[in-house]
Amino acid sequence: MATANDLIGNVQPNDSDVQHSKRLNATLLRRLYAYMLKCRIVEERIRTLYRQGKFAGNYFAAVGQEATSVGTTLDLLPEDTVAPSHRNFVANIMKGTPLPLMFAHLYGRKASPDQGRSAPAHCGYAPMNIITPSSTIAAQLSIGTGIALANKMQHKQNVVVALSGEGSTSLGSWHEAVNFAGVLKLPIIFVIENNGYAESLPASMQTAVEDFSIKAQGYGIPGARVDGNDVIAVYTSMRDAIDRARSGAGATLLECKTYRWYGHSEIDGAKYRDPTEVEYWMSRDPIPAMERRLKPDNLWSEQWKEELTAGFNREIDEAIAFAERSPTPQGDEALDHVYSFSIRERELDRKTWAPKYEVSI
Amino acid sequence: MAVMTYIDAINTALHEEMERDPQVFVIGEDIGRMGGAFRATKGLLDKFGSERVIDSPLSENAIISSSIGAAMAGLRPVSEIQFVDFITPAMDAITQQAAKLRYRSAGTQTCPMTIRVCYGGGVGGGLYHSQSNTSWFVHSPGLVVVAPSTPYDAKGMLKAAIRDDNPVMFFEHKKLYRSIKEEIPDADYTVPLLKAAIRRQGRDITAISYGYTLQPTLQAAEQMKKKHGIDVEVVDLRTLAPLDTDTFLESVAKTSRAVIIHEDNRTLGIGAEVSAIIAEQAFDCLDAPILRVTAPDVPLLPAAAEMEKFCVVSVEKIVTALERTMAH
Repeated sequence: MATANDLIGNVQPNDSDVQHSKRLNATLLRRLYAYMLKCRIVEERIRTLYRQGKFAGNYFAAVGQEATSVGTTLDLLPEDTVAPSHRNFVANIMKGTPLPLMFAHLYGRKASPDQGRSAPAHCGYAPMNIITPSSTIAAQLSIGTGIALANKMQHKQNVVVALSGEGSTSLGSWHEAVNFAGVLKLPIIFVIENNGYAESLPASMQTAVEDFSIKAQGYGIPGARVDGNDVIAVYTSMRDAIDRARSGAGATLLECKTYRWYGHSEIDGAKYRDPTEVEYWMSRDPIPAMERRLKPDNLWSEQWKEELTAGFNREIDEAIAFAERSPTPQGDEALDHVYSFSIRERELDRKTWAPKYEVSI
Repeated sequence: MAVMTYIDAINTALHEEMERDPQVFVIGEDIGRMGGAFRATKGLLDKFGSERVIDSPLSENAIISSSIGAAMAGLRPVSEIQFVDFITPAMDAITQQAAKLRYRSAGTQTCPMTIRVCYGGGVGGGLYHSQSNTSWFVHSPGLVVVAPSTPYDAKGMLKAAIRDDNPVMFFEHKKLYRSIKEEIPDADYTVPLLKAAIRRQGRDITAISYGYTLQPTLQAAEQMKKKHGIDVEVVDLRTLAPLDTDTFLESVAKTSRAVIIHEDNRTLGIGAEVSAIIAEQAFDCLDAPILRVTAPDVPLLPAAAEMEKFCVVSVEKIVTALERTMAH
């Protein structure tokens, strides 16, 4: 039986299974499953840590949406870019950000990729081309189009995956980005993670259309809607969109219909939802669904799941231990990285220009 | 040496920088086929092709946002916003994305880009073709905000901005484009972005301004000399953020009097900051209150000539402020 690391740590997304054969072989199916399980276990642990007061701020879990999280990103190369929203912390798992750095980020430690500056859910990672998120919804789409523009201008084969919730489609910048990518035929895939709610508001109150993917028609790009809880469906649709982008055929819009199990954030009890609706979607949990797909072909067993779980938990324990022993940034480090040059002297040494004397204040 | 207008200097800088560095490209509305609303990008499309001279869809947000992404990916975008009055759709991109990207990634993700904007009034442009809203951007740490006042500086500072590793807001006053000419060296040169200039030496009073209003300020200084024999020292801020405070503080330490002149609104205009810095750091040097000559706090600029004239800075207004400060 393969270890968790064999399946997750050492198998790169650009392995020959994915790139050449294009068939969903056993390894690929098992990787889709294992990544979903990892995302789930990591996020549930993060939620526990938050409730235990281990880190401050807030967290925006994508629990329940793992089929979309994994299916849209599994095929990405390190040089491909992810433009994430606040709910895409696990994109770091998919792209290969080291878990200890991700937990150092949650804990606001110096070792985090942004040295303690961004909110816990806003984890970017330059070496894996994950844009550090902001809180303004849909901004990442527009920045993503710029990276796609650069990829095209530099004649690179790399693609951008811009992730956003269905609520983002109510903003002008969502439409400006998709229009821009359509006109300039950019190698970008816009993924709408339609998880049913934008904070408290149901999707039906964001738009008068039922199917978000038809918005693609307005911009001259293909649009598709898939069951966002079916990891194979998400993966295969995404693979086609990525192929299109890499081959120079331009942008695609992919709507993944899924469900956010918990509130908008950890401080949102989500009382605005009908419990039977939540129950229904929890019964459509993408992880057991994949287990049922794999088991008849002997690609899944309880024992394998236990081994994976134990391996992921060990990894998380180590990551938490790393975060806890990592130093916090010093207060005056707030003055760093504003510009390419230092502003420390300007901020800290303000001399007086009195005629006869000079003192620091 | 060639005698150039301000717009020629901008155009030449763009040509030279695009020749020098293949990573430099320009993007904006009507900048390619038409050569720009003011012809700042004239000739670029023919020379460099549509891959590097991008006539963008009409979306200031997409122009700036895509420049941010392209800059992150290693290119050097120079985007043009036809009139700074049109920049509001790109405010999130500029103030929350470009300004903060370096900070929020601890220096691991950056966007070295130049945003050229045409600003300023006095040409009857009305409320949406006249603003001098520099302060919006000065209040966003992470942005370098510059407003060159001469053709020499326009060329040298644009080159410096394109080569700079920070997002630079480059304010060009439309009245400067064709009103003044200057000899420009043929050789490649840059003007450092973070250093103010003394445009006129004087020992009696310091007049501080930037961009177009340097012109009436220099004329007012000449009048003060002729009328009263008073030597006005004129400081050109050149860069509004981060401010070079030393140059004007040194000047005020010498003259003991200061007047600040700008076309932006008075409240929280750059004059408020310069004035506060002088009060904080050079209070004991002062022999008179600091005065400001600015637009009133109304939406700028009303179109009718009489109202526009009432609002904009003039030589007479500056002379009056200088006289009042000297008389104190």
